[in-house]
Amino acid sequence: MVNPIYIIAVFLGIAFSIGLLRKNTETFAGILSLLTLGFASIVSAQWFYSFVTADIETFQIFTTAFKPPFSINLMMGKDEALFTLMINAIGLFGGLYMFDKLKKAGKNSFIALLMLIMGLNVVVMTRDLFNLFVFLEISSIAVAGLVILTQTTKSISAGFKYMIATGIIAGILLIGIAFIYSYTGTLNIDFILVQNLEATKGISIAVFFIMIAIVLELKPFPANGWGLDVYCSAQSGVGALLSSAYATASIYVLMKLLPLAPENLQFFIATIGIITFVFSNLMALKQDNPKRMLGYSSVAQIGLLTAVIGLSSVIGSYTYFIVISILISHFLAKAGLFWISGIIKQDSIKNWSILRTNKILLVLFGIFIFSLAGLPPFPSFFGKWELVMQLAETKNFIWIFAILIGSFFEIVFMFRWLGYAIKLDMPNNEKIKVKLHQLIPLLFFAATTFIAGYYISSEHKYASLINYLPLAVALGFAFIEFLPAFIKNTLAIAAMAAYYYFNYESYTDIQGVFAAIFIIGGILTLIAGYAYKGKRQGFYPFALMMFAGLIGLVEATTTLEFFFAWELMTIGSYFLILRGKKSIKHALSYMLFSMGGAYLILAGFGMAAIGKSDISLNILSNVELYAPWIFGLLAIGFMTKTASIGLHIWLPGAHAEAEADVSPMVSAILLKAGVFGLIMLFLAMGEQFIGNISFAYILSWVAVITALMGNLMAAFQEDAKKLLAYSSIGALGYVLFGLSLMSHLGWLTAVSFSVTHFMFKALLFLAIGGVVWRVKTKDMYKMGGLIKKMPFSFISVLIGIIVLAGVPPLTGFAGKWLFFQAVVEKQWFLQGAILFFSGIITFLYCFRLIHTIFLGQPKDEHRNIKEAPFWILVPQYLILLVIMLFSMLPNSLLKPIGEMLLPYFPNGAITWDGQMATTALGYWNGKIVMFIVIGIFAVVLAWLLFMNRKAKKVKQFNIGYAAERPFLPETTHFAYNFFAPYQKAVGFLVAPGITNFWQRVDEGVHSVSDKFTKIYNGNGQSYLIHIVAFILVIYLISFGGF
Amino acid sequence: MDPLFKQILFALLTLFIVLNYGLLVQGITRKIGARVGRRYGIPFYQPYIDIIKNYSKRTRISHGIMYYIAPVFRLTGGIGLLMFMPVIFGNNMFQNFSFSGDLLLILYFQFFGVLGMALGAGESGHPHSAIGVSRGLSQVTAYELPLTLAVISLAVQYQTLNITEIVAAQQGGILNWSFFTNPLASIAMLLAFLAAMGRSPFDVVLAPQEIPIGPPTEFHSGLLGVLQLNRAIFPIAKLILFMNLLFGGASSWGELIIKTFFIYMLSVVVGVVYPRFRVDQSVRWYLGVPLVIGVAAVLVSKFL
Repeated sequence: MVNPIYIIAVFLGIAFSIGLLRKNTETFAGILSLLTLGFASIVSAQWFYSFVTADIETFQIFTTAFKPPFSINLMMGKDEALFTLMINAIGLFGGLYMFDKLKKAGKNSFIALLMLIMGLNVVVMTRDLFNLFVFLEISSIAVAGLVILTQTTKSISAGFKYMIATGIIAGILLIGIAFIYSYTGTLNIDFILVQNLEATKGISIAVFFIMIAIVLELKPFPANGWGLDVYCSAQSGVGALLSSAYATASIYVLMKLLPLAPENLQFFIATIGIITFVFSNLMALKQDNPKRMLGYSSVAQIGLLTAVIGLSSVIGSYTYFIVISILISHFLAKAGLFWISGIIKQDSIKNWSILRTNKILLVLFGIFIFSLAGLPPFPSFFGKWELVMQLAETKNFIWIFAILIGSFFEIVFMFRWLGYAIKLDMPNNEKIKVKLHQLIPLLFFAATTFIAGYYISSEHKYASLINYLPLAVALGFAFIEFLPAFIKNTLAIAAMAAYYYFNYESYTDIQGVFAAIFIIGGILTLIAGYAYKGKRQGFYPFALMMFAGLIGLVEATTTLEFFFAWELMTIGSYFLILRGKKSIKHALSYMLFSMGGAYLILAGFGMAAIGKSDISLNILSNVELYAPWIFGLLAIGFMTKTASIGLHIWLPGAHAEAEADVSPMVSAILLKAGVFGLIMLFLAMGEQFIGNISFAYILSWVAVITALMGNLMAAFQEDAKKLLAYSSIGALGYVLFGLSLMSHLGWLTAVSFSVTHFMFKALLFLAIGGVVWRVKTKDMYKMGGLIKKMPFSFISVLIGIIVLAGVPPLTGFAGKWLFFQAVVEKQWFLQGAILFFSGIITFLYCFRLIHTIFLGQPKDEHRNIKEAPFWILVPQYLILLVIMLFSMLPNSLLKPIGEMLLPYFPNGAITWDGQMATTALGYWNGKIVMFIVIGIFAVVLAWLLFMNRKAKKVKQFNIGYAAERPFLPETTHFAYNFFAPYQKAVGFLVAPGITNFWQRVDEGVHSVSDKFTKIYNGNGQSYLIHIVAFILVIYLISFGGF
Repeated sequence: MDPLFKQILFALLTLFIVLNYGLLVQGITRKIGARVGRRYGIPFYQPYIDIIKNYSKRTRISHGIMYYIAPVFRLTGGIGLLMFMPVIFGNNMFQNFSFSGDLLLILYFQFFGVLGMALGAGESGHPHSAIGVSRGLSQVTAYELPLTLAVISLAVQYQTLNITEIVAAQQGGILNWSFFTNPLASIAMLLAFLAAMGRSPFDVVLAPQEIPIGPPTEFHSGLLGVLQLNRAIFPIAKLILFMNLLFGGASSWGELIIKTFFIYMLSVVVGVVYPRFRVDQSVRWYLGVPLVIGVAAVLVSKFL
């Protein structure tokens, strides 16, 4: 293998040679530089590969005939190989990306690039402090040279500020090095470390100077204004180099030198890091300029890594894994994002909608955003997971909180940006011009992100157990996007059916119920997808990803698998919801609430793993410490998904604005994921208490209020899909209440209602979706009298609302009957009464839905409307068949679920005698009721038909109007504000208090962010003062001055 | 004879008795009202004449299928409600089909008819029908709450939802009636009963002077005839329910007729005295005093 010294030698040689070239040889110089960088990358890669596969010895590079400490030595170990590989790679691809710009600036710019990369290589490999200083200076100068490539006032002043700042930092470093040399007599790191540093008086100052300089290189808050100005004004390629190469090298320097520092200084370094992480992400919220925002994000991520490194004595052996996984994500994603911003050259993130003119770039943008956000299957997901696990193990809960808050801020601005790119109107008719040499680095880095993610997960003990098959299938659909929609639809349905067929036998009871809801429900809603023409790009990968997540939830055996599946489900559903026409802010709101809940779940899982030897889901069954906390965190996390009151504001917008077949997917199926989580939680942890109050009791009140508010708000909606969305909130309140009863009847109600709700909600959303498809509006008062034109949809909705309202003889009544028995048995009468009231309110909106759309008078523009598309009707009628079956034979649904629940709740089960159900309190026989009702109905109908057989059919407008004639259909259709008196009576209950609350939180955070960004006033002198003050304050705190 | 067949025959007999009783009660009530107002009043068999008249009319129109079958829904609701209830206590012949379901089934089955009527009213295309339905539904949701609370209270008191058992527990003297053993629940239920009967102050749904009789506006001839039949059966069925729950049931037809008549008179007297509530007023009223009484009833039976 090649001696690494040749990397440096070749860099130097080529750099000097370029200087000797004649004029107009820029291209030749460029190619030469790229070749050099390629050579360096190959050398590093070779070394890294050998370390990984053959596990060779660390290689010491001696630069003279003398051995250290009398000469400078470099080292090439596994870490050095990896880091130099990263640096050389970004140099190569960055240089390729910037080729045109560098050429235009002259061949000296290539020299600057080569010197930067060379300097960083040595910085990583060196074991000598002074050598480190020298090459840090070389790198800084090279950076300054690259910054000034673009000759604008901003960039030149930024470059100047950069020089000043790094000058001060280097000076501090040098002082420190000088003192260390004076105290220890050597400049070689290894030799310094073997000496007992604590014993020497005064050496702590020297160590402090060195460490603080290294930390300042990493641009901590608030002494980082100079760095942010550089990110903002330098060329994008330079920004990429800075954030990926320079930051990577600096991180490695910190890792190298950390053993020098005493424990408490390490702790301070970690604190500085985490503060940087939280505040930089906070300040990024208010940014509009993409490069500046990326600068803040870079600084923040490096801050996180600093914190992890500083906590390495706490985190222990996992530090390396965490650092590498987060670093690789950052490295690849930041470079990618800077490169994309260089291609599209827009100064405001709102104008990034121009990305939609180039689909490849849009996809790459999405990949990088998700990688940075710490979502699966990217490396940072596993890094963050392990970080939380380790911090929880050592009970550092404040740190977990800080990390999750900072991550949450990241999610906010990144997904806002993504939403702008995907949904905002395009500014004008520009198209992006992207050149091949700019595209290749992007594609390479994106692919590497996936490969790195897979590799990182295989290194992790539990991540390697994850079943990637469903996700792989989902991603596979991304490669067949060019096919027409109906082929993809068939493939999707086939894939899901096959998966279910091969796996359904292995599911235990509760798993089986939910797997059926998820997969069979998914197939039903996918059938409606046949109604769409064209290619339907961007739908299938994400729909399948969502279902992959759902099935992963059911099959999870470890907490990591569960969390992985949860996040996957969130990603898929986010993109599905985002497809709606007016969904931009609703999708963002959905993402924020989902991620907030996910972080709570992560924290809960972390705490549950304390003291345990593995992370299988059974650890939840024997939690010793902090059980109420864990329960609370997990419960609230799951309740964000079921949209319980207080956490519900995302649901109406998200479900209502989604497409016709997405709404049933998210409303009927996805909400059940939260229910599944809660069931698992209750089964594992049982009843937990805060003080004397049981969580189940608190949950019962939350559920009841959710049910009441959801149903009440539904009654007052003018938008049909919003009405159904609020109805879902109410229904989930019902389910949660059933669970909180913690009795056989209660759980039977909850689980059977989950199944029934899935059926009728899917039915209603599909039917209404079909209607909206034709009339092109969602407002109910703009519709009317559609029964003649859309009879099939009418029948669907009719049956749907009868089931929803719980009127016998259909299957909805089973739920009401069970619920009543359960409540009286448990003796929670007050909650039961409120819940019963909300059940009655259901009638209100059920009737409103069907009357305002199908009955009354039709509008003129709808007189010739067609029935809903055939393929949207198909799943509706399949569901109708099942509803009829369950109505006729209720024990086909209830008996299996009852038997399934017996092991957990042996007492209080229903006694079945054929179709007659008996409890201690009452009885009911579904089949006989159905027969009697049908019998009476048939007789009366026959009689009426006989008597009225000569009735004349008239149009809807032919009505007797008390001696007048009605004027227009529009003014004769009573639909708007249908329940005005009711609203007058109880409308005060539905004032938007919670929406206002969250709005104020949102505004508050943004104004705090705004205040903090005022620190960076652009003045170089201020930044200097920041740096010096920073050093002073940290010194005083760490040495006990305050 | 096949027991099922026998049961059906007796059920039809019950239906016949109740139908006639309902029509007669309507006539007699109007007669009493007239006499109290110093008028002569209609003959007591007037409802029969009305029905025969409606059925004999020749013109009939239909606005559509839902409109056409709405009266069927309504009548099915009425008859069904009657069929699911045990009518005469202690007499196997008049238990109807009460083995199909308990009190909850009855409570929820009333909505079957309401829903059907509402749908038919909607398809008639008349705005007054729709307004009537909106008002009707609002009111129903309001009065169901104290009714449910009262039912819960009774269920807890008697530890059963089986109507026959509830009636059995009230035997052995007037003081065993729920009316005396659980006065709070009774009062709450009777207040709800007022709205269920659809007389003042809760008659805004059919408000004769406002919206020409609300939901049934567009119904005529045979269709209206079917509705009139229901108007005879449905209230009697509800009266029988209240009688069973609160007043000890009936062991013979005579007792049933007397008890239900007096319960019905309660709503008539209130109706004659009080003016009409607006919908928001009635909703707010029901969420006030009756709700409190209902909650109190539940709490009392829980802790006693």
